[in-house]
Amino acid sequence: MAWDNTTLFVDDDPADRAFRAEVRDWVAANVPAELCNRSTRIDPPALKPWHRKLYERGWIAPHWPKDHGGMGATLTQQIILFEEIARVGAPTPYPHGLNFIGPLIIEAGTPEQKAKHLPPILTGEMTWCQGYSEIGAGSDLASLQASAVLDGDHFVVNGHKVWTTNGHFADWMFALVRTDPDAKPRHAGISMLLIDLKSPGVTVRPIQTIKGDAEFAEEFFADVRVPRENLLGPLNEGWRVANRLLGSERFTTGHPRNAAVLLNKAREVAELTGTSRAPGFLQKLASLEIDLLAFSAYYRHAASLHGHGKAPASMAPVIKIVGGELGQRASELLVEAAGPFGAQAEDLSIGNHAVNPAAEMFEMRRVTVGSGAVEIQRNIIAKRVLGLPG
Amino acid sequence: MELLLNEQQALLAETAERLASASGGPQRARALRDAGRDLDAEAWAAVVRAGWLGTVVAERHGGLGLGLFELALTLEPAGRRILMTPLAEAAAAAFALSRVGTDAAAQALAGLLDGTRLIVPATRPSAWGLGGGLRDGATLDGVIPFVAFAPSADAFLLATDDIACLVERTSPGVAVETRAQVDGATASAVRFANTVPAAVLARGGAAHGLTAALRDVLALAAGAELLGVAAGAHALALDHIKLRQQFGRPIGSFQVLQHRAVDTFIDVELNRSLLFRVAAALDAGTHHPAMISAVKARTSRAALAATRAALQMHGALGYTDAHDIGLYYKRALALAARYGGELEHTARFSELTLA
Repeated sequence: MAWDNTTLFVDDDPADRAFRAEVRDWVAANVPAELCNRSTRIDPPALKPWHRKLYERGWIAPHWPKDHGGMGATLTQQIILFEEIARVGAPTPYPHGLNFIGPLIIEAGTPEQKAKHLPPILTGEMTWCQGYSEIGAGSDLASLQASAVLDGDHFVVNGHKVWTTNGHFADWMFALVRTDPDAKPRHAGISMLLIDLKSPGVTVRPIQTIKGDAEFAEEFFADVRVPRENLLGPLNEGWRVANRLLGSERFTTGHPRNAAVLLNKAREVAELTGTSRAPGFLQKLASLEIDLLAFSAYYRHAASLHGHGKAPASMAPVIKIVGGELGQRASELLVEAAGPFGAQAEDLSIGNHAVNPAAEMFEMRRVTVGSGAVEIQRNIIAKRVLGLPG
Repeated sequence: MELLLNEQQALLAETAERLASASGGPQRARALRDAGRDLDAEAWAAVVRAGWLGTVVAERHGGLGLGLFELALTLEPAGRRILMTPLAEAAAAAFALSRVGTDAAAQALAGLLDGTRLIVPATRPSAWGLGGGLRDGATLDGVIPFVAFAPSADAFLLATDDIACLVERTSPGVAVETRAQVDGATASAVRFANTVPAAVLARGGAAHGLTAALRDVLALAAGAELLGVAAGAHALALDHIKLRQQFGRPIGSFQVLQHRAVDTFIDVELNRSLLFRVAAALDAGTHHPAMISAVKARTSRAALAATRAALQMHGALGYTDAHDIGLYYKRALALAARYGGELEHTARFSELTLA
């Protein structure tokens, strides 16, 4: 029996199996080949036709309720969609609109906000970015300084947001801004604003990442006037609004497949370079495969508990920590597998495709930092799950 | 994370928890060790009465007709409370005997299940040769090292790649050389010299298959106990760092200890999911053989890491024999070494998955 680390413990019920087959056939017939298995980042504009196809099929927002244009799908169906798209090496749509702000607008938005913003998120016409981090507010997000002051029927926004994925491609930003500078505790003075990035006074500058691409941007706000109706949720309740995002969004960003694909690339590259004959490499590979098997078991276990409404508080942080750290270790093994080619800037050609070990490894650095560093996740488990004193 | 259990499984888990609490615990394990005994007779009687030896034996053979998933449900609490009983060994032997269609096997199985006779596996570890070798003939010659509970056994279920047979411990030519383990358990070299087996159960391919299955059950069962040992040590460490005051505050308020505790928590959580998913896959016949090695490698590694972390958190207390945490460390060491440790099973996993 061949070992396939991408299908571990898949135990769909018959309805799920039928859904998987349906998705697999459709993806095979419709996936744009030029987007598959790319070694470089695919920017949002290049992704739009594929986004549109998924939208037209009705599969773009499996987790959204049906009356908002989603599928009202179970978590398992969401995972199946993700897995079948990822299986052929195709990109999944960026999460900022579909997974982050979309569900928040559904949850906390006004009827006008829903009517205005949800349809273009579904079709992919509008690209969103998340304006949370600032130079002085990373893990300690509640210390953010960007301010919004009410002036008649507008907020006047001043400040600086940074490390914003897709900021330079985005039409809109959902931003956490300080609306009460004197509030105690600090997070009680924060609001969530929806900001049109084409507004006067907004300057956006791309930032090159360690990987060498421009995934990030920074945005400067100088007296930017944002209509009052773009406040999401109540004034000074932005922290609570942002925290309404459920852990289930981690089920795709923390999928074990990320590590599985990297380990398979490591095997492939090791064959090319001869590293596969090194006992130390085989031992490390096996050890990581064993950790991946354990994480896959945990992941399926968590998904089934979630389906029964029994997901524990530790689930989302554990998926974030293990998925991220395992992916990093797998990417490091990929570089080791490349041996003397490990530091090469350009791609390695293997058969008809390309792998860039160093770039893969650089990209994996983001996963233990973005949306809550793993150290913060460990703090959360220590306090909320293990009950350790503050 | 909690397991999704049916009514019967939930009842079994609850009973196992109760029995392990009532009949186990580090104090009893320490007393046994000091008395030079590797088996807690009272706890063992309770386990036999509960019928768990027959968990993986079909009902028509007198068992409970359940699976490895259920066996693991009984073994995790046994590990957590350091229950010194041969449950893993007897259940594995019962499993193997129930798959042999001979009268001798049926008779041996009946005696094993009702607790009148203890039969433990004597099986060749994959990384070790057989010394003199076992002749496929009327008599046996050779040695099986590292047999657990040999001093307490009435008979051995000798299982190798060529032959599976029952041998009475008191048969002529059988010599048991026992070495105490750090936790009070025993590992014995069982030598056979011109020994006549009580009954031959299988030869050739059938013996090979039976031995492989028996070894899988033993590794998985030890993995379940190791999961419990790690969880038990983690619980002790958490209690300790919440109470222990230094620098005017509980040491559990220090982030470096919090993160270390979280890492153990995550390891235990992942291993519980791994163990029970693999057990369920085995029960459903959908497993890959490498999965067993993944379980034994990872539960061995995690139990050692968890007990080491717990020991460190206990400071000087952890270095004393009187404190329970050291016993967990030793238990992890003994169970990790039994039926193949992390290195051996990682290498086996590598071979099985690269093929």
